[in-house]
Amino acid sequence: MEYVVEASDLTKFYGDFCAVDHISFKVKKGEIFGFLGPNGAGKTTTVRMLTGVSIPTDGGAKIMGFDIQKQSVEAKELMGIVPDISNVYTEMSAWDNLTFTGQLYGMSKGDREERAKELLQMFKLYDRRHEKLDGYSRGMRRRICIAMALINRSSILFLDEPTSGLDVQSVITIRDLIRKLNHDGLTVFITTHNMEEASQMCDRIAIINHGRIAVIDTPEKLKRTTEGLQSVEVSFETTSQRISEDLMGLEGVEEAQKQGDKFRLYTDDPPNVLSEVWDYSRKNDLRIITMSTLGPSLEDVFIKLTGIREEPRKGGGEKMRGQGRGKGGPRR
Amino acid sequence: MRLDRLTRELKVVWAIAVKDMKIYYLRTPSLMFGILFPFSMFLSFVIGRSMIISRAIPVLVAQTVFFASSTIGPVSIPLERRMQTFDRFLSAPVSLLTVLVGKTIAGFLYGIGISLIPVAIGIVFFSSQVTHLVALAIGIALSAFGFAAMGIMFASLPGQGPGEVMMPLNFVRIPLLFVSGVYVPVKDLPSWGQIASAASPLTHTIELIRLGMGGENFFEPALNVIILTFYAMAFLLAGMRFHIMNKKRE
Repeated sequence: MEYVVEASDLTKFYGDFCAVDHISFKVKKGEIFGFLGPNGAGKTTTVRMLTGVSIPTDGGAKIMGFDIQKQSVEAKELMGIVPDISNVYTEMSAWDNLTFTGQLYGMSKGDREERAKELLQMFKLYDRRHEKLDGYSRGMRRRICIAMALINRSSILFLDEPTSGLDVQSVITIRDLIRKLNHDGLTVFITTHNMEEASQMCDRIAIINHGRIAVIDTPEKLKRTTEGLQSVEVSFETTSQRISEDLMGLEGVEEAQKQGDKFRLYTDDPPNVLSEVWDYSRKNDLRIITMSTLGPSLEDVFIKLTGIREEPRKGGGEKMRGQGRGKGGPRR
Repeated sequence: MRLDRLTRELKVVWAIAVKDMKIYYLRTPSLMFGILFPFSMFLSFVIGRSMIISRAIPVLVAQTVFFASSTIGPVSIPLERRMQTFDRFLSAPVSLLTVLVGKTIAGFLYGIGISLIPVAIGIVFFSSQVTHLVALAIGIALSAFGFAAMGIMFASLPGQGPGEVMMPLNFVRIPLLFVSGVYVPVKDLPSWGQIASAASPLTHTIELIRLGMGGENFFEPALNVIILTFYAMAFLLAGMRFHIMNKKRE
């Protein structure tokens, strides 16, 4: 079977509000499929419908060919789910959480205990297996939640914002784990609003906004759709608003953004801007710490497709626009 | 349903019941509404009145099975919905009926366990006698299941916390005490009261328990059993219906 998930015309209304608006997509076997969108775009609602927790207002979905509403038991046997909140039983130990989940999936005592041991060792929590989860950190609970989703040796893993709100170490651990599981053959459906996460991990990405899918493609192909968005990033030993204004006036710079201690200069002509910045630094006796050219990021694609800024790049950092010496007007 | 599938679903029923027993039996709302509430109501009923305690024991048993059984569901389900652990059941490869029966069994066993305490107290301290063991056993068991299902039904209404479920539940539970022959025997009620008491499941609980402990009946025991069975099924099905409505709405 080529497709593990097939959603067709999936729709959800909350009263008069349409949270998910007739979306259709397919997830191929063995891929990591990202569902990227801002908060409130309909990501979690989609996952809840795909996993049978919520009933769609219209349309439907199949998991490995089984209709999630009409053949829900067969479909649910094939999936593991990690919701946006770590919904573990904090009053129970890690061991009991895993073995109880195994019972829900109809696993025999021997099988679920063997699998629980295997997963707790994989997640490096076996030594703490008898502790109640109310004493676990958020990252540890997240790992247990993922382990619970894997207890039944699922064919597809649904992860809703798996790294949201976690510390860097937990994020790295979980991302590495997802990659390993995928390498071992598990299909992964992951929702996130983290561009970096989506870019690093996903084979394909669907960008959803206002309940509709704007585009589905690979991260690199998506970046190519905004190929014109090139930029030069530079940081000096000192930063000031005056430098930002000066950089704005350089030839070829269409737009300048101060991003922390760096300046990002959008341009059609990066080599010329590099040279201009170099001259400017020498004339003003400013020492350059770093300077590099950047291609469009997934964030640029996301902003372009979702239109989350009324004008391009107004939201992040202080922004200035070219004074007419550039080669064209500002772009999205 | 195939036998292996049925066996599997029954195992899940038991797993859910055991999990709920471990987590919710000793929670403050369970102890307060399940044990403290019926006992304190009973004490306020008997203290200062010249009545034979042994004759009031069936009332205490009935009140206990009524409150205790119907308390576990309203404690567990709203908490699990708030913590999203209830979604684990909705996404598990089991039927909704299996989940609700598992939760009902937890309330059922709690109700039986707690109601045996006043039975034992009555026998040991107040010379109460079990004259019809089958009636007593069926009365307690059937009522425990039915009232546990009633609790599940109320807990299935949209609500954020146990307190918000307990309020409408008590709004129904407390008035039922007054039309079910708890404080006034059914035979002494006016005709409209007797009709109302016939419709109340608690009446049939008290009737069977009284019969089991040497008291008199107003309705036929077979009618008691039929009505309690009907309510148990109706509560369970209504609970399922509410959950399906929630799945459509949420």
